[in-house]
Amino acid sequence: MLKIYSFLILAALIGLVSFSGLDQAKAVETVKIGVMAPTTGPWATEGQDMVKVVDILVEQINAKGGINGVLIDLEVGDDGGTPKTAALAAQRLVTAGVVAVVGTYGSAVTEASQDIYDEAGVVQIATGSTSIRLTEKGLERFFRTCPRDDEQGLVLANKVKALGFVKPAIVHDNTSYAKGLADETREILKSLKIADVYFDAITPGERDFAVALSKIRAQNPDVIIFTGYYPEAAMLLRQKRDLNWNVPIIGGDATNNRTLVELAGVSAAAGYYFVSPPGPSDMKSQAALDLFKVYQERHQGLPNSVWAVLAGDAFNVIVKAIGTAGVNPEGIAMYLHSGLGKYEGLSGPISFNEKGDRVGELYRLYRVDPKGQFVLQD
Amino acid sequence: MLSHFFEQIIYGLTVGGVYALIALGYTMVYGVMKLINFAHGELFTLGAFVGFFFLVTLDLGSFWGPVLAISLTVVGVSGITALAGRLLERVAYRPLRDSDRLAAVVSALGASIFLQNLIMVVSGAKYRAFGVDLLPTTFIQFAGQSVPVARLFVFLTAVVTMLLLYVFINNTRFGLAIRAAAIDQGAARLMGVDVNKVIAVVFVIGPALGGLAGLLVGVYYGQINFDMGQLYGLKAFTAAVIGGIGNIPGAMIGGLLLGLLETLGAAYVSGAWKDALSFVALILILVIRPTGILSERVAEKL
Repeated sequence: MLKIYSFLILAALIGLVSFSGLDQAKAVETVKIGVMAPTTGPWATEGQDMVKVVDILVEQINAKGGINGVLIDLEVGDDGGTPKTAALAAQRLVTAGVVAVVGTYGSAVTEASQDIYDEAGVVQIATGSTSIRLTEKGLERFFRTCPRDDEQGLVLANKVKALGFVKPAIVHDNTSYAKGLADETREILKSLKIADVYFDAITPGERDFAVALSKIRAQNPDVIIFTGYYPEAAMLLRQKRDLNWNVPIIGGDATNNRTLVELAGVSAAAGYYFVSPPGPSDMKSQAALDLFKVYQERHQGLPNSVWAVLAGDAFNVIVKAIGTAGVNPEGIAMYLHSGLGKYEGLSGPISFNEKGDRVGELYRLYRVDPKGQFVLQD
Repeated sequence: MLSHFFEQIIYGLTVGGVYALIALGYTMVYGVMKLINFAHGELFTLGAFVGFFFLVTLDLGSFWGPVLAISLTVVGVSGITALAGRLLERVAYRPLRDSDRLAAVVSALGASIFLQNLIMVVSGAKYRAFGVDLLPTTFIQFAGQSVPVARLFVFLTAVVTMLLLYVFINNTRFGLAIRAAAIDQGAARLMGVDVNKVIAVVFVIGPALGGLAGLLVGVYYGQINFDMGQLYGLKAFTAAVIGGIGNIPGAMIGGLLLGLLETLGAAYVSGAWKDALSFVALILILVIRPTGILSERVAEKL
């Protein structure tokens, strides 16, 4: 008896599910786009901002009737800032049936998901992963809206030279991003006839860098190049101030986060240089201003860094490509490679080369002024 | 050269003092319950955030002056983290006390992940900054060397707290009960020791010390975030193992030793390899003394 009942219930459930599925398909046509971002874990600020930006864009497009009448259904996958979680998130998004994915932030994290998306035929546009090798694998559906480390290393080295420094100390944090950038910068500096006097790592997540600083000080450099992330940069600045040592520090784009000044304190942060794509407050395109207006109302303040905005750019080019090429990954990829022209993105004109890298120099030199503001130098 | 060395020792002792404070929480719980409380690192984080709430969000300093504000914060932080530790024991460990030890370990890991994410949800993922310079940035002269006052403060706070604990454990009746329960719970129970109460107290003192360490790190380094307990927890756990897990003076020695190993490794070998070096040292110590420097079961007369 029980068996018959459970069979009936099961049959009813299956019927319900399939009918409701049919209903939905008839009512509205949707296209699934994924966002893979570190909404938990050490980079959760970045990840949550990425999702906030894309959420607003989805709302705006759907309010206008979607892409040629097709509504966007956003799937968010949390990669936790770790390769392992990223692989799971990627599998989940692929199973959910996304046609394209925005993300993600960390290079090693993106790398763990690349093959999964590629095998599933999904377009992926990374937004903060600057490691060189990601686009050297010949993946046809992989793009990025952020620049590459070699470009950053080149700009960083050139700025160090242009500012007249001749005895740099180079500090990284053993992550693949920071080590890569440090190596790259070191090589280019060598070709510019500038030899470093110190090259070593600190441990990210730690708070005490007094040992590293005292060791660097013994080499008497005229500038410290730090290629890691903003929490550690803030600690270095602060502890350098505590040593009454006023050597300048120049950092990379992972320190372009306004929290840096809060963490280091205005007096310690003043004078800090970094190279980065222009931050949210320096983006003047109409699209960016429109986005920030809504963002500011909803989240009190601008996104913390440029990377969230680049996620918005990645999302926008996907929408544009779907609008022209339809819901098909091959067509989207083809369009992004060749049809995009000079698309006016949030962060400036966007086009991709054959490798999927963003074309054009994005990096600028910034300096923290005595009031703690990031000021564009050139 | 010598002054450079002296500087490194000062750095090592401050870093190690914090490790030692956290390590005490691991070791006390292990001593009595034979359980590694993986959620201890999160209680450390909680302490830092509660301190942030009192000193920055409520800005107690501007109402009551620094001394009263800091005393109140210390009481608040240790009280709230102790309460959290107590709750943790009731919810995550007590129901599993008679089950397999593995079950309790898994429960501890789960509690750790839960707490970490809870802190993130409540306070946000953003790094938080304590206003700069809660501690003086001046130096004092000591034996011909200039020593940063703030570092001295961190180290002395850790040492005084540890000494108080040491006296409590060794010179009070309740301390005796804790030591007895650590040696043999069953026998202690037969002798009239209220083991439940001992466990409860251990879960009050350990988390309170961890919370205080969190406050200390927040106030001194000025930067806290929700997953800071992970790295500090790992390091402190290592320190507890080096010293001999379950042994209270061992945790103190282990913490200071690990701090010194790390700084000296970074100063004289390489910053990139410093963690590898300290773990090699850990392995060597464990090879020579498998139960840690001060092994847990020293033949002991109560």
